[in-house]
Amino acid sequence: MSQSFTVDMINNCRLLARGRRWFLLLVLLLGATLALPTFGVSACPERDRRACPEHSRRAQPKGKPLSTVSVERPMSLSSRLLDPQGQPVRGAKVTVRQGRSNEPIAIAESQHDGTFVVDLPPREFPSPLVIEIDRTHFQPQAIELETEDMMHLNAGESLRLPDVELSRRITPGFWVATLTFVGILAIIALEKLHNTMAALLGVAVVLGTSFVGGAINHNLFIFDFERALEYVNFDVIFLVMGMMIVIGVIEETGIFQWMAYQAYRLSGGRAWLLVIILMIITAIASALLDNVTTMLLMTPITIQIALAIGINPLSLLLPEVLASNVGGISTLIGTPTNILIGSYANLTFNDFLRNLTPGVLLAMIVLITYVILYYRRQLLTQGNGLSEALLERLKDSGRITQPQKLAKAGIVFAVMLVFFVIGERIHLVPAVTAIIGAVVMLLWVAPDIEEMLKVVDWTTLMFFIALFIVVGAIQEVGLISIIADSIARLVGDSLPATILVLIWSAAFLSGIIANIPFTAAMLPVVGFLTSTVSGASNQVLFYGLSVGSAMGGNSTLIGASANLVTAGIAERAGYRITYVEFIKVGLPATILTVAAGVAWMFIRF
Amino acid sequence: MGKILCATRGGEASHRTQDAVIALAQEQDDSIVFLYVLDTDFLGYTERAVRPDVVATEMEHMGEFLLVMACERAEKQGVKATFRVKRGQLADALKETAVEQDVTLVALGRPAGEESRFQLSGLEKLAADITEEIGIEARVI
Repeated sequence: MSQSFTVDMINNCRLLARGRRWFLLLVLLLGATLALPTFGVSACPERDRRACPEHSRRAQPKGKPLSTVSVERPMSLSSRLLDPQGQPVRGAKVTVRQGRSNEPIAIAESQHDGTFVVDLPPREFPSPLVIEIDRTHFQPQAIELETEDMMHLNAGESLRLPDVELSRRITPGFWVATLTFVGILAIIALEKLHNTMAALLGVAVVLGTSFVGGAINHNLFIFDFERALEYVNFDVIFLVMGMMIVIGVIEETGIFQWMAYQAYRLSGGRAWLLVIILMIITAIASALLDNVTTMLLMTPITIQIALAIGINPLSLLLPEVLASNVGGISTLIGTPTNILIGSYANLTFNDFLRNLTPGVLLAMIVLITYVILYYRRQLLTQGNGLSEALLERLKDSGRITQPQKLAKAGIVFAVMLVFFVIGERIHLVPAVTAIIGAVVMLLWVAPDIEEMLKVVDWTTLMFFIALFIVVGAIQEVGLISIIADSIARLVGDSLPATILVLIWSAAFLSGIIANIPFTAAMLPVVGFLTSTVSGASNQVLFYGLSVGSAMGGNSTLIGASANLVTAGIAERAGYRITYVEFIKVGLPATILTVAAGVAWMFIRF
Repeated sequence: MGKILCATRGGEASHRTQDAVIALAQEQDDSIVFLYVLDTDFLGYTERAVRPDVVATEMEHMGEFLLVMACERAEKQGVKATFRVKRGQLADALKETAVEQDVTLVALGRPAGEESRFQLSGLEKLAADITEEIGIEARVI
């Protein structure tokens, strides 16, 4: 009994001690809260101290009673740094000196929004202050304050200076970043390395140069790791990842192959009708899912169908791939370039539907007419029938292999489409819709974690991440500014001229440069033009970039991934698509469809 | 009765090779094994979501279709023919199938022209390599 009494006593003491400790802590916290203002520490952040009621009070000197505190106001100089395109310049070192003195009076750094605040000691300055601004890849600037400004300062007032525009400077880092970017484009175009490998190599070069080279020569510094990651647009990453999972589940069901076979049945063996139906199916599938996946899955069965009706498979494959590149741009999720553009410019699913889909329909009508005329001899050829064995194989290739999975996946996808459309009203961004849809697919339709890991193409996601970083590097060093300036000087303030230059140059360049890195690099340029050219605020230039970069991919074999994968499969079937052969049919198609796209831009906007 | 192994695809160049092999088989009263070799290396150069296994399955169906067409061509001329589809590289697939099927001759089609994937010298080297490694005659026809 005495033991329990002892234990109870100990416990009570502990409780009492614990209680005392908490009480003591509470008192200390309360005291600290009351005492803080007395010691001059403000609750307000550094930059906003001017606005704080506490800002005008100074720390109380020791020994003086509160009632006799004399107040001397600290002074500050503030301004905002902008680049020639009006974008904020962060990370610039701002040093304030007096006259020719080497000793700095105060130093600050510009923030994310380009603003800086330099706190000055509360005294008079007999000679004018000089503000020195230094930032890699920009010309250093020195601003001497005028007499009137000095008078205000010496009277104890803070100064807010006008915005300062910094001029760009070509540095060794500029050349490293620029050549790295160009090198990546060349490597991708020449297929010397996997796309992701090429982009990662670019990241290694720019970051390696920044950290190692920057330590030797500060002009080699491009950006640090934190800044590099700020350029990665995770909206895009998650949207692409979500759609990968959705498409990965749907593609297993055989729906693409079934649609191609149905086109064959509906056409009744008439090649001209078959090509029209196949082009429409491919365009719609590319708009809703992904044009590369569409072509990968439709090409093998299209080859079989072509052989079944006795025509050269290229008479069907090339029109299909042309249609896939055109159809893909009618929705936000149809092409990776649209995903990039939509995310950068805050264009919604509905924006693309309203502003681009009618133009795509117009371009498809033009494209179908062109294709029928171009292939009229082949499409009018009547071939020999297939044997029963081959017809059975064709039928077998074109069936739905997993009907239940397809039904469920179809429901989930339909709901996703609804949310893509209504998402902007309920503040639901497309990336979140895609992720939720993907998770529902995996939970309900294909509940297998191993399967999930297989369907997400991590190398593609790494490609996007690495690409964002490399494009960020050329933004940091000013290459984008140079391009934006050049275009702005070329087109002046004319919106029609800007649309024409943008669309046609994007169409031309997309034929020779991979369109995803090209689009990623052009986005800040188009953003600048949108803010400077009169009448461009309706985002017409972003739609123009979409039209040019995607439709331009039809001009050459290397212009789009869909072209390359189609050619890859066709070659393995013994039907090689040469570079020249593709240009012969693709270049006129590009010119016609881009012209239709331009016409729509002028009608719509 | 011997057996001739012939790697083939579709297209005019392959039809010429098939016709040559069928003629040879008729002469020698041999049967033919047509082989389609599937490789999906080209998928490595695209940056979009692809499921290599799903694409490979579709290309296998396509390959089988092409091979059934080749078998029908042979059978129309009175030559017995079967087919195989293999994944991987051409040289390895040829050697493996030749041994599996116990063929007497491996026939490689002569390149049709500039657009051909293979050069004549390369094919001749491959033929020599096959003969040396597995002891089965291989020739370019």
